[in-house]
Amino acid sequence: MSFSFLIRRLAYGLVLMLGVVVLNFLLIRLAPGDPAVVIAGEMGGATEEMLQSIRAEYGLDQPVLTQLWIYISNVAQGDLGQSYFFNQPVASLIGQRLGPTILLVLVAQLLSILLGVFLGVIAARKPNGPLSAFVSVFSTLGYAVPVFWTGIMLIILFASTFPIFPVEGMASVRLRDAAWYVRGLDVIHHLVLPAFTLAIIYLAQYARLSRASMMEVLGSDYIRTARAKGAGERSVLFRHALRNAALPILTVAGLQFGNLISGSLLVETVYNWPGMGRLAFDSILRRDYPTIMGGAVLCLCHGGGGQYPHRSELSAGRSAAAGPGMSGIRTTGPRRRGAAAAGQEGANPLCAPGGGAFTPGIFQARKRAG
Amino acid sequence: MSALLEIEDLRVTFRTRYGEVTALDSVSLQVNAGETLGIVGESGCGKSITALSVMGLIPSPPGKIAGGSIRLNGEELIGVSPARMRALRGSDVAMIFQEPMTSLNPVFTVGDQIAEAIMLHQKVSPDQAFRDAVALLDRVGIPSPDRRARDYPHQLSGGMRQRVMIAMAVSCRPKVLIADEPTTALDVTVQAQIFDLLNEIQRDFGAAIMLITHDMGAISEMADRVAVMYAGRVIETATADDVLDLPQHPYARGLIDCIPTLGRADHALKEIPGVVPPLHLLGKGCAFADRCAYKFDRCDAEKPLLTDHGRHPVACHGAEEGRI
Repeated sequence: MSFSFLIRRLAYGLVLMLGVVVLNFLLIRLAPGDPAVVIAGEMGGATEEMLQSIRAEYGLDQPVLTQLWIYISNVAQGDLGQSYFFNQPVASLIGQRLGPTILLVLVAQLLSILLGVFLGVIAARKPNGPLSAFVSVFSTLGYAVPVFWTGIMLIILFASTFPIFPVEGMASVRLRDAAWYVRGLDVIHHLVLPAFTLAIIYLAQYARLSRASMMEVLGSDYIRTARAKGAGERSVLFRHALRNAALPILTVAGLQFGNLISGSLLVETVYNWPGMGRLAFDSILRRDYPTIMGGAVLCLCHGGGGQYPHRSELSAGRSAAAGPGMSGIRTTGPRRRGAAAAGQEGANPLCAPGGGAFTPGIFQARKRAG
Repeated sequence: MSALLEIEDLRVTFRTRYGEVTALDSVSLQVNAGETLGIVGESGCGKSITALSVMGLIPSPPGKIAGGSIRLNGEELIGVSPARMRALRGSDVAMIFQEPMTSLNPVFTVGDQIAEAIMLHQKVSPDQAFRDAVALLDRVGIPSPDRRARDYPHQLSGGMRQRVMIAMAVSCRPKVLIADEPTTALDVTVQAQIFDLLNEIQRDFGAAIMLITHDMGAISEMADRVAVMYAGRVIETATADDVLDLPQHPYARGLIDCIPTLGRADHALKEIPGVVPPLHLLGKGCAFADRCAYKFDRCDAEKPLLTDHGRHPVACHGAEEGRI
């Protein structure tokens, strides 16, 4: 990747960001609902006079283009504005909520890769066995079932039938003053269901992918060599074969990370997990425009904000780094698959280019009072 | 003296869409310590299946050892526990494959791959195993083995990779070394080097070599004894000189006539007409009958057995009745 390539990419990124900000901003004008009414409602009454003063205070009485200009120049200076609802800077609000989301997404990613690859490897050993059939059916189901439905079903199951996992929130209130490790364990306990729910879709994909990839690798000559050396079955599978089969898995893992973040919106909402997704969802309901826009901008910044060819190139680079010997031999395979996966990502409405998860997002510039 | 490796009446079948096909039928071979047995025959005649049976690496399913016995040093290998087979593989009996380009794992350095073979069978530290691997690379004639041991397979040429395979195979001083067409993928000058190396290795390590090839030149250079295979059976077996000079079976004669003679431009190169019949279409007669110039009634009616008719064992009715 040459320097001029990077500059060009960065310029594309800026243009794209500007476009998304402008588009999201203008979309609000098309959506019904008035933040002033929501704010006035929270305050206990909505006389026309009060609405007017609220609009004036928040800058909502300015022409749209003026509001847009103020917002863009603020964002350019790193100021994401002030939340209407929480009455604190959007940036610090996001800062508080980003941690839980990253925790959830990382754990879900880890869970789906570990479990998915393990299932796939085991299934590849006997491609016609019952476990292999199970993996195939489970993958199709896991990918087809909406994540919020899985979440609700798990809540029903674990709230009444087997009440062993908390089904809501991130921490127990009564443990607020407990020692740090007790609180840590409590968070892990709360994490089980959301992380598993989020992992299910991707777990299924990893299982499928690693099964296919392993089956291909297990037929190769060097696997026979490993067996001829006297290597045991476990070493053959996990040492000799998996390392070669890992390339497409790594590529997809890189691409899936963005999908996981958008998937977390639904999971966080279902489990009331105090993360970015929950914040964005609530903000949309509350017409808290600065917060929604802040979320959109953040999502955009993540990994080039849906400039997916860019990200798959990065993944390809990472794959090459993971398998030093591979560069001369199998680059075409993973790259091709990477491109296919990128196309798939483009087709997923939740992660359409431009951080589509937050696209209902709209915002009103806040005029700084006096 | 009993043979180091004895294969007796080995029968291997494969399940295919034509039903069960017999890939090896009553194959009997012996290899003595320090000896090189050449196995020759066309593609698909069962040479590699014989080798894989000894290694216990027949892909199963669809393959299956349906009968017979394989004894290594008197120990029966058929039906032995998988753990015992793993312990023997690589240490007592090792194999060199015909595709050096794809037989090494692309994601490990060659030094690590040799060291792994050592550590699987000997209790040594990883450092010691790696040092042994470097010494082995030096032994098989790889220049600057220190540096090469840290290379990945794609950084080496085909000949070098085959040397690495040989180093890996001899790393635990196997009693039997199976070389399955070790030079097929290499160019001619490298072939000669590899054969020289195998000869040296045999002298140093005292291993018995089972050399699988379809190259009669390689046989004359390497082998002490030869078994000629055709359609899953051994059809002639004798010392290398006997087979090369006085082949009994029409097929063995055909193979030897196929060797071009240097300096004789007028001499038209002979060929064996036809192809090996598909295994599922073998009748009750001799599998070679349809391609044989000496064919007579009996050839279609009954399978010839490998028996000695004066010179050395051959499976041919014509040779038995003195028609050839």
